Formats: sequence, C-alpha cells, structure tokens
Amino acid sequence: MAGPLEPLFDLEEMELSFGPQHPSTHGVLRVMLRLDGEKVMEAKPIIGYLHRGTEKLFEQETFTQCIPHTDRLDYIAAPTNNQGFVLAVEKLLGITVPPRASYIRMILAELGRISSHLLWLATHAIDLGAITPFFYTFREREIILDLFEEYCGARLTLNAMRVGGVPFELPDGWVEKCSAFIDEFPSHIDEYETLLTENRIWKKRTVGIGVISAEEAIDWGLTGPPLRGSGVKWDIRKVFPYDRYDEVEFEVPIGQAGDTYDRYLVRMEEMRQSARIIRQCLDRLPEGPVMAKVPKVLRAPEGMVYASVEAPKGELGYFLVTTAKGTKPYRCHVRPPSFINLQALPEMVKGSLVADLVAVIGTLDIVLGEIDR
Amino acid sequence: MHGPLYDLVLLPLIKIVVVLAAVLLIVAYLTFFERKLLSYMQVRIGPNRVGPRGWLQPIADGLKLFVKEDLVPGQAEKFVFLLAPVLIMAPALVMFSVIPFGPELWITDINIALLFILGVSSIGVYGVILGGWSSNSKFSLMGGLRSAAQMVSYEVPMGFAIVSVLLMARTLSLVGIVEAQKAAHLWYIVPGILAFGIYFICGVAETNRNPFDLPEAESELVAGFHTEYSGMKFAFFYLGEYTNMLVVSSLATIMFFGGWLRPFPNVAWLSFLDVIPPLVWFLAKVGFFIFVYIWFRGTFPRYRFDQLMAVGWKWLIPLSLVNLFVIGLGVLLLKG
Amino acid sequence: MSVSEFIGKLIPMELFAGLRLTGGYIFRKKVTIQYPEQRMEPTDRFRGMFGYDVDRCIDCHLCAQACPIDIIHIKDHTEVEEDPETGKKKRKKIIDRYDIDVKRCMFCGLCEEACPTEPKSVWLTTKTYEMATYERAEQLYFDKERLASWEGVQPFPGVLPPAQGGLPDAPMGGAGAAGKEA
Repeated sequence: MAGPLEPLFDLEEMELSFGPQHPSTHGVLRVMLRLDGEKVMEAKPIIGYLHRGTEKLFEQETFTQCIPHTDRLDYIAAPTNNQGFVLAVEKLLGITVPPRASYIRMILAELGRISSHLLWLATHAIDLGAITPFFYTFREREIILDLFEEYCGARLTLNAMRVGGVPFELPDGWVEKCSAFIDEFPSHIDEYETLLTENRIWKKRTVGIGVISAEEAIDWGLTGPPLRGSGVKWDIRKVFPYDRYDEVEFEVPIGQAGDTYDRYLVRMEEMRQSARIIRQCLDRLPEGPVMAKVPKVLRAPEGMVYASVEAPKGELGYFLVTTAKGTKPYRCHVRPPSFINLQALPEMVKGSLVADLVAVIGTLDIVLGEIDR
Repeated sequence: MHGPLYDLVLLPLIKIVVVLAAVLLIVAYLTFFERKLLSYMQVRIGPNRVGPRGWLQPIADGLKLFVKEDLVPGQAEKFVFLLAPVLIMAPALVMFSVIPFGPELWITDINIALLFILGVSSIGVYGVILGGWSSNSKFSLMGGLRSAAQMVSYEVPMGFAIVSVLLMARTLSLVGIVEAQKAAHLWYIVPGILAFGIYFICGVAETNRNPFDLPEAESELVAGFHTEYSGMKFAFFYLGEYTNMLVVSSLATIMFFGGWLRPFPNVAWLSFLDVIPPLVWFLAKVGFFIFVYIWFRGTFPRYRFDQLMAVGWKWLIPLSLVNLFVIGLGVLLLKG
Repeated sequence: MSVSEFIGKLIPMELFAGLRLTGGYIFRKKVTIQYPEQRMEPTDRFRGMFGYDVDRCIDCHLCAQACPIDIIHIKDHTEVEEDPETGKKKRKKIIDRYDIDVKRCMFCGLCEEACPTEPKSVWLTTKTYEMATYERAEQLYFDKERLASWEGVQPFPGVLPPAQGGLPDAPMGGAGAAGKEA
C-alpha cells in the first residue's frame, strides 16, 4: 500500500466541557477541552459566570463605599484588596498614613497572604488526590480568620481598611494572640511539607508539569508566584514598596524550573517569609493614631492614578479616574492577577494530560471572583 | 449421620447465608470505619449523629441509598447500565466462597482456589468498563478506560507475586497454603516480603484505592466510571469496592500472614496466645490491612494515569519476576 | 543510578514519614466544634444581626447614605408639637419607617460607623448570626419593630434583643474616634 500509514482506527477528538460545575475548577471556571484520548489538544478557558460588574459598581459608590466591594474580588485574601484600593485613593488625594496604621495594614495583608496560600495548598493537594493537608491547613486558617474577626468583626469580607488608615485600634491581647500564632506557624508548615515536599507521588505529579519559562512568563504578563516560580525576582513589595514594606526585612523566594513543583516551593517559602514580616511588624508596632486626618467626605482632584500591591496571587492594581471634586471614581479598572495568570493556561497545558490540567489550574491559584469581577 | 440432602445442599446454603450476611454487614461498617478513621487522621471527629456515637450511620446510609430514586440517564445503554453494578458486586462476593476464615470455617475448600480467585476477580473489570461505557458520559468513559488498563496491567505482577507463594506452598488451595505455613513453622511474609509488597500494591491498584484511585479520581473525572449512577446501583459499586478490599486483605492474610494461625505457631511458650480463637486472629489481621488501606488514602496524593502504568510495567513486573526467580531458586535449593 | 539510590527508590522512606504523621494524628485532640451543642463565641466586634433603637435614633439618615447597597429605607414626617406647659411649638421628626433589607446586606458595618449617636442607634455587634429562615422575601426584611424585637431571630445566648435592652457591644477603639476627629 502506498502513501502514509493510515491509522488503524478513526482517531476522533473529543470535546469536553470541563466545568463550570466541576470539583476542581475552583469556582465557576469552564474550560473547553479538545481531547485526544486523555491528551489535551486545546484548552480554552471560558469565564464570566461570576460577573457582577464590580468596576461599574464603583462608579456609583463613594470611595469609602467601594472598599467593601473590593473584599469580594479575591474573596480569600480580602486585606490586600482593601489595601490596593485605599493606596490608590490615598495616592490620588495625597494622604499620608500614620505609621501605626501602615503596620497594622501590613500585618493584616500578610495574614491574608498566609491564609490565601493555605487555601491554595489545601485545594491544590486535593486536586492531586491528597485529602489530608486540606484539614491541617484549614485548622491554621481558622486561627487567622479568628484574628481577623477579633480585629474587625468579619472573617472573610473584612472591610478592614479606610482611606487614611485603618478604622479600628487593635483590641487588647490581639498582638499576643497573633505573635503566638506566628511562633507556632512554621512548625505547621513543616507538617505540610512532610506530607508533600519529598513525597515521590507529589513530585511525580508536579515536577516538570505546566512549565513556563521566564521569558514566556514575562510575555504573558504573569505576576506573583507563577512568575517567581520561573525565576524572575519580581515582587511589588520590593520593587515599588508601599506602606512600610521598605522598613522590614524579607526574602523574595524564586524557583528555577518554572514548573508546578517550583511554584509550590515558592509559595511555601512565601508563607515563612510572611510570618517573618508579621513578626517584625509586631515587634516594632509604633504608637500613635491609626487614622490620618481626612475629611469626612472625600473629594478627589481631577486626575488618574494607578496603584498596585503584591496580592497573594500576583500584582493587584487599581486604576482610578476622577473628576474634579468628585466623591466617586469616574472610572475604575482593576488589574486582577488571576485574570492575567489564567491567560497562560492554554499554553501551559497544551499536550499534557487531563490530570495535569487539574494540577495547572491549581498551581495558577485563580479566584473567579477576581477574574470575572 | 445426615442424608446427602443435608450435606450437599442445606449445610452449604446455611454457610452461604451466614457468610453473605456477615460480609455485607462488615462491608457496611467498613465504610463507617473508614470515615471515622480518616476524620481522626484529619483532626476532626467524623460521623457521630446517627445513633450512639454515630454507630447507626451505615444503616442510615444504606436506607437512604435504598429509597433514593433510581435514575437511568436517557442516553444510557439500559441493559448494560443495569448489569454493570452486578458485575462488580457478584464476583466480589463469590470469592468469599473459597476463603477460609479459620480451621473448618469455610464454605468450600477447592484445590484451585487461588486460580479461581484470580479468574473471578478479573470479571470485576467488566463491571467497571461496561458501567463507564454504558453511562454515555465522557467522564465515565474515561474512568472506565483508565480502570480497564489499570486492572489488566496490575494483574500481571499480582499474579507473579501469587505464584511465588504457590511455589513455597506447592498448593493452590487456600487452606493448603495456611497449613503449609503451619508445617513450615513460618509465615510466608519472611521469605516473601518482596512478594507481599508487590501483592499489596497491586491489590490497592486492583481495588481502585488511593493512591491508585484514578478510575474515580474525583478531582479530574468527577466520579469516574460511576458518575451517572445513583441510588442502589451506586451502592453496589460502593459495596463492591469495599468487598474487594476485604478480599485483597483476606488473601494477604492467608498467603503471607498465616491466615488464622497465631504468630509463631510453633513456639511453645507463646501457646497462651491460643486463648484467642483463630477466627479473631484472622479478622484482626484483615482489619490491619484495611487500616493500612485507609491510612494510605489519608496520606498520599494520586498518581497520574501514565505514571501509574509506568510504576506497574517498569517497576512491579520486573521486581516480581526477580522475586519469583529468587524464591524459585530458594525453594529448589532447600526442598529440591 | 547507584545501588544506594536504587534501594532508596525501592524503600520509600518519605512516604513512611507521611504515614507516621497522619497515623500520629489519630491520637491527637480534635478541633471540631459540635455546632448545635457547642457554639463558637463570636468576638466583641463580630458583625452580625442588626440592632436598632428608635428612641436613640435622631433620624439623620447618615446610615442610609453610608450604605453601599442602599438597603436601609427611612421614611419620616415632621410633626409640630405644642409643649403643654410653655406653649412653645416644637418641630419633631417622627420615623415612620426604618427598614433594613437584611437578605441583601453584606455586613460591612459602614452604617454603624456612620451613626453619630452614643451609644449607636444602629449596630451590628450583636454576636447573633442565626437568622436562617424558610422564606427570604419577608422573613429577612426587617422593619423597625422587628429590628427591635428580633422576631424570628435566634439571639446568641446572653444577648438581648434591642427591645429588651440590648446595647451595642462595641469597644471599637479608633473607630468612632477616628470619624469624630475629622
């Protein structure tokens, strides 16, 4: 028989709608897959199932009223969302925040980072079949949420920052509770690592999976652990320090291979570094007011401003346009890290197996609240 | 003293009913045991609402599944869809007919019991693959395909591991294997530690349990081959899985840990251990393996499909061949 | 692959370390809270069910303005009242309606922060969170009587509904203070 070899059977590609109701799409992400057997030929993320029009909503709210809405973007790390927004408004209005307020913000933000990374670890491990880390991490996360609750009265949607500072003084005994937690926390990270880091099954599932090189990561605009996992030392807290991050010491962990395992190691180390930052903040917590003198009704000058923070998932930026004496943003755009990190998904999973798709979705650490806004 | 009717029909029937009832009850409580143990490993308490300390939970679960609506997807292949759960459950139960629980405590002792079990257990694959295919769901189909490949490839090293026991005992009868261990003054775990390791890993894979639970990997395939099943049909899959765990554990006990024998069956000063009846020894050993099953589930992540095949073909099969060779050589030199 | 590496690959020590950890946890103290019998006590600042005191309320509408999602509805009218002794005429605002659509509330606490009275006339620091109902259109829409009586709400043990003298539990530190400074 002449000509190229005919395949024995009709090779039929299968379309599979992965999500939006699926145990491991972390919310309502839908991925349209073209599969050859279990091999992913093409993955197309479809988003928008959680769209609430938050950016448009901002245009109708005063600056203070916007803050509770920011809680609901990346709803598992609310403090950094608040922080990004109030920093943008402060930059616009030229408000200087008292040092104590800055330190409290940093403590909250780093606690939020730990809690977000704990949740990421829990779900990532469950995606790869290890169910037990979930309960260990949630035990620690619970302590963090208790700390949040004691400080501001809410556990997830904190609304814990205001333009000009933070709304509340720390309650009595909070510093002691927080530092007790920070002291024991690294030993808990060791526990998770005992279960996963050296585990040969875990390594098989993560090493060399979802690789993205440093150049590609920059081209795709990735930020946060997905970028640092590829070996790019880029952390907003270091390169454009906000609040008082220039006064504390911490390392920016980076990976080398840019695979799922390196991103896992980066996040584990980030949790330790966050604990280190909190420890320094608690030790040097300055006295003084927690709120700058700001007018009751905030009136912005005409202008536009962009401010960004290092959220647990990457660079979270707020772009605000205001009209003269406007009490509300004229236009607001949020640069959510998950949305931009998700773009790289089709590239990262092309040619891998369905099981790897789950691993890569997990390692990108997306939150649909932030993607759909 | 009794007629042939009693010996050939009535007595076996009574035995079958007793064993069946006992197995089903144990299996039902295995689910409870698993949930409790897993939650204890995960710093939580687990089911404790139904009955005193939750002891009626399996009954409630069973009742719930029993009265649930029995759905058949519109596009499903109805007959096969109904057949699949039976194909899982029936072979699993049939295997108990040859398993000896203690001296004289068995339904039947056939001289090819090991072969019988290997053969019957292979039928379970059909249940999984037919269930996956007939549901007419993509996730189910992928689960079915995965499990067919997985079970077929893990049966090879498992067979080799069993053959090494066969070489030592020189009989296929399970009762014979236990008696051979008694005669040899030795549990076969000592010479056959590698064979046991291979057997148990394959057993975990055969029963689709973590870390080899790919056919139902819920984070990838929703629920794998039984995604579309509900009610009693789902319960059959569920019970079938636990029954298979019980079979694998029983076989491990019989082949490597002396079945109903107490530890060191021929050391005289340990004879006070004989106070504990053989059946209890047997059940305790089986219970330990079930515990290990659950322990694995509470600790390990899941392999990926191709990695699982690699572990099977690249590690277990060569290892089991080496093991077979070494044991064969040993038997030849010692008994030859 | 050296021999020791091969044996290392054969004997999965790191897997045993994991097994030891999970096995050890079987005997540790459990963290579950058995909910209906045991309750987590919310902290003092916990933002839960609304309390409202119509007598303290000065009808300034600041809470309604502060609300980001406009769920506080206030309706009032002014009555001219004559003092029976002096004969002086006094204008008095009467609150006809003070409704909070709790089902839409996101419990941000901005209304409480905006309230200028001392103690606050509208507050969320009630520790009360058991507000589940079988119907949400009416059961979770609270008018000023129900905001005071908490009919259909299970108060946290030890907390009184506003009608029976419940007061805000608000040691908020800088909260009100910061607002007043400005």
